[in-house]
Amino acid sequence: MEGGVSYARMPRVKIRDLKDDYAKFELRDTDASIANALRRVMIAEVPTIAIDLVEIETNSSVLNDEFIAHRLGLIPLTSQRAMSMRFSRDCDACDGDGQCEYCSVEFHLLVKCMTDQTLDVTSKDLISSDHTVTPVDFVDSSLAEPSDTSTNRGIIIVKLRRGQELKLRAIARKGIGKDHAKWSPAATVTFMYEPEIHINEDLMESLTLEEKKEWVESSPTHVFDIDPVTQQVSVVEPEAYTYDDEVLKKAEAMGKPGLVEINAKQDSFIFTVESTGAIKASQLVLNAIEILKTKLDAVRLSEDTVEADDQFGELGAHLRGG
Amino acid sequence: MAPPTPASSTKKKVPLKPCPEPTKMTDRPGSVQDFSALRELLKPHIESFDYMADQGLQKMLEHIAPVQLTSIRGKFLNFMPYYAKFCCFDFLCFYSVPDCVGAFFFQQCRQAKISYTGKFTADICFQYNDGAIIRDNVDFGQFPIMLKSKLCHLRDVDPRKLASYKEEASEMGGYFILNGLERVVRLLILPKRNYPMSLVRNSFSGRQEGYTDKAVIIRCVRADQSSVSLKLYYLHNGSARLGFWMRGREYLLPVGIVLKALIDTSDREIYVNLTSCYNEKYEKGKGVVGTQLVGERAQIILDEVQELSLFTRLQCLEYIGKHFQPMMAGHVNDSFPNVAESVLKNYIFVHLDQNFDKFNLLIFMLQKLFSLVDQTSVPDNPDSLQNQEVLLPGHLITLYLKEKLEEWLQKGKRLLQDEIEKQDKTFIFGDILQVKKLMGKNLSKQISTAVENMLKTGRLVTQTGLDLQQRAGYTVMAERLNFLRFISHFRAVHRGASFAGLRTTTVRKLLPESWGFLCPVHTPDGEPCGLLNHMTSTCRITSFYDSQGNIKQDYSEVKKSILKVLIAVGMTQSVPKLVLPGPPQVLTVLLDGCIVGCIPSIQVEKVVAHIREFKVSSCLEIPDDLEVGYVPLSMGGAYPGLYLFTSSSRFVRPVRNISIRSDGDKNIELIGPFEQVFMEIRCPDGGDGGRKSSFPATHEEIHPTGMLSVVGNLTPWSDHNQSPRNMYQCQMAKQTMAFSSQTIQHRADQKLYHLQTPQSPIVRTSAYTKYSIDEFPTGTNAIVAVLAYTGYDMEDAMILNKSAVERGMFHGQIYQTETIDLTDQGRRSDRSSKVFKKSNVEKFACPALDSDGLPHVGQLIRPDEPYCSIYNEVSNSTHSFKKKASEPVYVDYVAVDGKTKKPFQKVNIRFRHPRNPVIGDKFSSRHGQKGVCSQLWPDIDMPFAGNTGMRPDLIINPHAFPSRMTIAMLLESVAAKGGSMHGEFVDATPFRSSVKKESEESESKSVSLVDELGLKLREKGFNYHGLEVLYSGVYGTELTCEIFIGPVYYQRLRHMVSDKFQVRSTGTIDQVTRQPIKGRKRGGGIRFGEMERDSLLAHGAAYLLHDRLHTCSDYHIADVCSLCGSMLNTTFIQPLKRPVREIGGLPPGRAPKKVTCHACRTSKGMETVAMPYVFRYLAAELAAMNIKMTLKLSNGAGA
Repeated sequence: MEGGVSYARMPRVKIRDLKDDYAKFELRDTDASIANALRRVMIAEVPTIAIDLVEIETNSSVLNDEFIAHRLGLIPLTSQRAMSMRFSRDCDACDGDGQCEYCSVEFHLLVKCMTDQTLDVTSKDLISSDHTVTPVDFVDSSLAEPSDTSTNRGIIIVKLRRGQELKLRAIARKGIGKDHAKWSPAATVTFMYEPEIHINEDLMESLTLEEKKEWVESSPTHVFDIDPVTQQVSVVEPEAYTYDDEVLKKAEAMGKPGLVEINAKQDSFIFTVESTGAIKASQLVLNAIEILKTKLDAVRLSEDTVEADDQFGELGAHLRGG
Repeated sequence: MAPPTPASSTKKKVPLKPCPEPTKMTDRPGSVQDFSALRELLKPHIESFDYMADQGLQKMLEHIAPVQLTSIRGKFLNFMPYYAKFCCFDFLCFYSVPDCVGAFFFQQCRQAKISYTGKFTADICFQYNDGAIIRDNVDFGQFPIMLKSKLCHLRDVDPRKLASYKEEASEMGGYFILNGLERVVRLLILPKRNYPMSLVRNSFSGRQEGYTDKAVIIRCVRADQSSVSLKLYYLHNGSARLGFWMRGREYLLPVGIVLKALIDTSDREIYVNLTSCYNEKYEKGKGVVGTQLVGERAQIILDEVQELSLFTRLQCLEYIGKHFQPMMAGHVNDSFPNVAESVLKNYIFVHLDQNFDKFNLLIFMLQKLFSLVDQTSVPDNPDSLQNQEVLLPGHLITLYLKEKLEEWLQKGKRLLQDEIEKQDKTFIFGDILQVKKLMGKNLSKQISTAVENMLKTGRLVTQTGLDLQQRAGYTVMAERLNFLRFISHFRAVHRGASFAGLRTTTVRKLLPESWGFLCPVHTPDGEPCGLLNHMTSTCRITSFYDSQGNIKQDYSEVKKSILKVLIAVGMTQSVPKLVLPGPPQVLTVLLDGCIVGCIPSIQVEKVVAHIREFKVSSCLEIPDDLEVGYVPLSMGGAYPGLYLFTSSSRFVRPVRNISIRSDGDKNIELIGPFEQVFMEIRCPDGGDGGRKSSFPATHEEIHPTGMLSVVGNLTPWSDHNQSPRNMYQCQMAKQTMAFSSQTIQHRADQKLYHLQTPQSPIVRTSAYTKYSIDEFPTGTNAIVAVLAYTGYDMEDAMILNKSAVERGMFHGQIYQTETIDLTDQGRRSDRSSKVFKKSNVEKFACPALDSDGLPHVGQLIRPDEPYCSIYNEVSNSTHSFKKKASEPVYVDYVAVDGKTKKPFQKVNIRFRHPRNPVIGDKFSSRHGQKGVCSQLWPDIDMPFAGNTGMRPDLIINPHAFPSRMTIAMLLESVAAKGGSMHGEFVDATPFRSSVKKESEESESKSVSLVDELGLKLREKGFNYHGLEVLYSGVYGTELTCEIFIGPVYYQRLRHMVSDKFQVRSTGTIDQVTRQPIKGRKRGGGIRFGEMERDSLLAHGAAYLLHDRLHTCSDYHIADVCSLCGSMLNTTFIQPLKRPVREIGGLPPGRAPKKVTCHACRTSKGMETVAMPYVFRYLAAELAAMNIKMTLKLSNGAGA
């Protein structure tokens, strides 16, 4: 990297697209370690609330108790409260048995099928003791029919036939994705390096239209296009490039190496975040930054760091915030 | 002569259904499947049992000889034939527990651990002299019934109804339920019936002096399926001996005597008949089988008979009768010719009725034998499928039942005989009631019990051996580990237990004759390799039912119509006294081992083609499964002839007869392995297959996948894999933890594996759809990345994504059932006093149990906790059953037998062991690529794709591919990726390039599979070859090379560490040696054996060696007398003679442990030596043999 990148940089974020469960943003002026740390924290360390303990009273369904408990655990619960909640393992109010209001939410489920039709038990049947923590409502906002019940039925837990019954009490607790995937708020978090694509115009002009077309087609994603009028090849969507080197290989095969030059910018990233619905995607990013900060604070304020100060001089001081 | 066109008859045959061409990959949702393809697979089992119920038993009863009883009473001589005949045969599907009414369903039998049986009765007929026949209906007990056979009351129940009966909707039957266990009769290979086979075997020459190693063997089968094997041995002097087994001994008769005894004939006639195969005209040429020597040998045979001064038939009969009378039961006072007649009837060519036919066949066999000796024909290969057929369950049971009934009759006869001989006035022989009463003592119900026991144990208890090669191993458990294993039991064909111990590998070889009948891929590796084969998916077994399930015409009718056709096309029929010429002018025609005539060899090919046309055409004159075994004339090849077979239990498979022009499926012909060898069948790719133009193809394969078994057909693109990998997959598919049953909640199997979250494979073959495997899926589509990532994927280890597992991937459980039956607990006396009850005294002792002594459903039971308690009301004691396991289990259900007495006696408790993936569990793809999970790797540390964010579920090492060459796995990955992006299943039927496409377009042929799949990926913006750029999950940097990633269907194998791990520090020891015991179940250790010892020695790890072999094993400190060197007679601890003086207040002083040598009478030389305890044991053992062992003790370096 030219110029010797200083570690004192001010990263910039530019939001491109923001929906409840989806966010796309650019992260610039930082490096891969920060970007990846953010990704990892979003997947594994942003806390959410998920069902952790199930007491089954009656279960005459076709699925066994563990199966139902597992399915319940995977239901995303709205977890805006999660950041302020306590982990039940260090909750003082209940001595860590995880049943108090500060660290847990109780759910009840009581369904019995009385008709001949198969009854779907869904996440909607879970009755929460806390109105802020409820199963995530999957309403597709693109469908402007909120009253349409057929599309809005929650997550199926089990199906019951006549006479079968399911009765249980469930305790939801705060947790992080590192402990169990059910606490992960992220469906997908990924980032890619922003590509820099330079077409060698002179070399490109030496190609016939046929060849240009062939070359453009060689990329599986729609990165380049030919202007129908000027017949010039242009980069239409650089971010669609997947670093698959297909166009480079093609250029080489056509005997025109250097037709295009593609570099990954080492300091800018395009993030895609999809949330499970437990928290909003935007909140997920903010929470992740918060947690990352807390983690850094933990390092900064730790006794070991103070000791290291003497050993490592300036770096140690910097770590401490000097 | 123009061959007549196939006559149309009144009844029309519906053309055979070929295997449907693979078109649709998915089933319509919601539609009820008919599972007919699956049922077809099990037909051999069910049809054979059906036939037994329909006609087989009746035929068998007709073949049971009546038992005659003669009595001498007082003044008058009573000649009393005691004649038994079974007429009525009916089954009722009721289980005869007194207060239990109604038919039992399979599920109830499995749950209650009883057998699925029906009542078996038969009429016994008594006849005094020639008086009226008196019938008596005898109950033969509860006979086991094959599920879904004609006798089963759920035979034609539709899938929906079956499900309501708590059965599998796809229940196919074909097995028996015995004591709640499902058992299948194994299909066994037998020599082909009624076909004389020439053999060269060294053991023949050892038979007696003068025998050569050459013989012709024929296994003759009666209409009731019982068989007698005959051997025609060649002697060094040119003569031959006919050998057959009778009561465990082989009897050898000179052929001349048998020939003469069979029919009234002259020496000249025999001579002419024998030499008919030799003609001076043809010196040496194509198809010549006879030589000049035949005449000389015929002379020798005739001379032999003359030397015994036997000239006429009667003389021969008397000669035979005289020798065999002692052996033939029931012929004590019979005349010699009668005895001989019965020998000829019951032992010589039992498949033929006419002596004239037997004579002809014997002549034919002699000619074949002489041809073998003269090397004008080669010996037949008994290991080739060409000369083999199969033993079917119904036939086996019929055979066994026949013998049991015969034994029962003999026993009844003995009972009556004893009573008569007692001279007891109370017994009147003429009184039928008394006879019947006496017969009642003869336990008739044991007949069914015997059959049931045979099926339970797979062991034949027989005196005669039933002409079968083995005594045990006839049935196996139909394990429902998964569905593929289950159906494989029905398709498996075993070569016979006697071959398992053989050192030679000849029987295990894959021979080209078995092409299309036995799957070359689906055989286990290891011990039973090549002996346990599986039938291909298209292979069928001929039965007594035609393709519509109607019982076939009577054999005599079939024979008549075949003869009619043959004569019409120019066959010279064989009639008595007519000498038929032999090859090469004519070919002898044998129909089911009976010489029916001969056909001029120039016409024979036309005739064969004509018969085949008849076979295929929709007329009833010639059965569609007729085997036209045309062995052409050759230069010293197989012995020529036209061998026709209509019998049952032959292998057949459908192929297309292309010499008959037809659209669609009207030209499907069933061919057998015997004829296939001499047929020209081409591959359906449209090419000639390198065939010379002088041998044009007459037939064509329907689809190349027909050569693979059902399981072998499920491997996607198996034609792109190295073949052993496909074999491994066949093995592993059968040990996959899968969706074993849809009625899992009603089942009470000992052990049942269950995959919680199965998926349907994206890439699948046509067989997958055809056999509705979606009902029983076996794995999960896992996103597999091929890279070396952490080092934890070395040597076939694989890394699972922890989050993927936590979301439910490969979750599963084992169901295990414990049956507690109070009626067989403990002694008879206190049986009735036992009830399921919790102890009154310690009420709170075990909270897991309810007051009825049974656990709660859903209860967690930890190791060594009781799960059931029995209370003895008499002794007022409780006994509890403790769970012996290393992990906690859940109670899945508790089933009680509520139909019997009020306090129930029988309980099934099923436990559920959760088995979620852990490190050490085994997984495999469908390409023989198995691996062990080495880490559950955190999701965030897994590599991810930049654009999609996809993280792999599973990482395998690229080294898994180069040497194994499982290209199909790579293809599957690419195809599944494309398929999942397009939202469609991908057809991965193998041998696609070998099938002619319907709309053949020349250019489409050039498109290779990879190109097709690659384009699909490209359409969705993926790399053509399935590669993707991944980023390190740990550093966020791009991985230096592109990674091959895509979904692959992975199976979880049943081998799990939780069932295998073995640890021990201290524990139980052996009583004799004081060494740790072996066995995981008992908490034993793992043997530290000789080789392990060697390696420690080689490393010089002396301390470790000492630790393993001594300290942790049988460490023992022995007292040794250094004076006499003995360690045995020294260890007497001297008893303290004088009373110990007790000092008040002080504890009695511990007497010093004093050891004296008994021999030396002193304790001076006593030393303690540490040694393994077995050493002392050795000394004791040696002492018992009067060998003294002395130890010389010295101090350390002193030596």
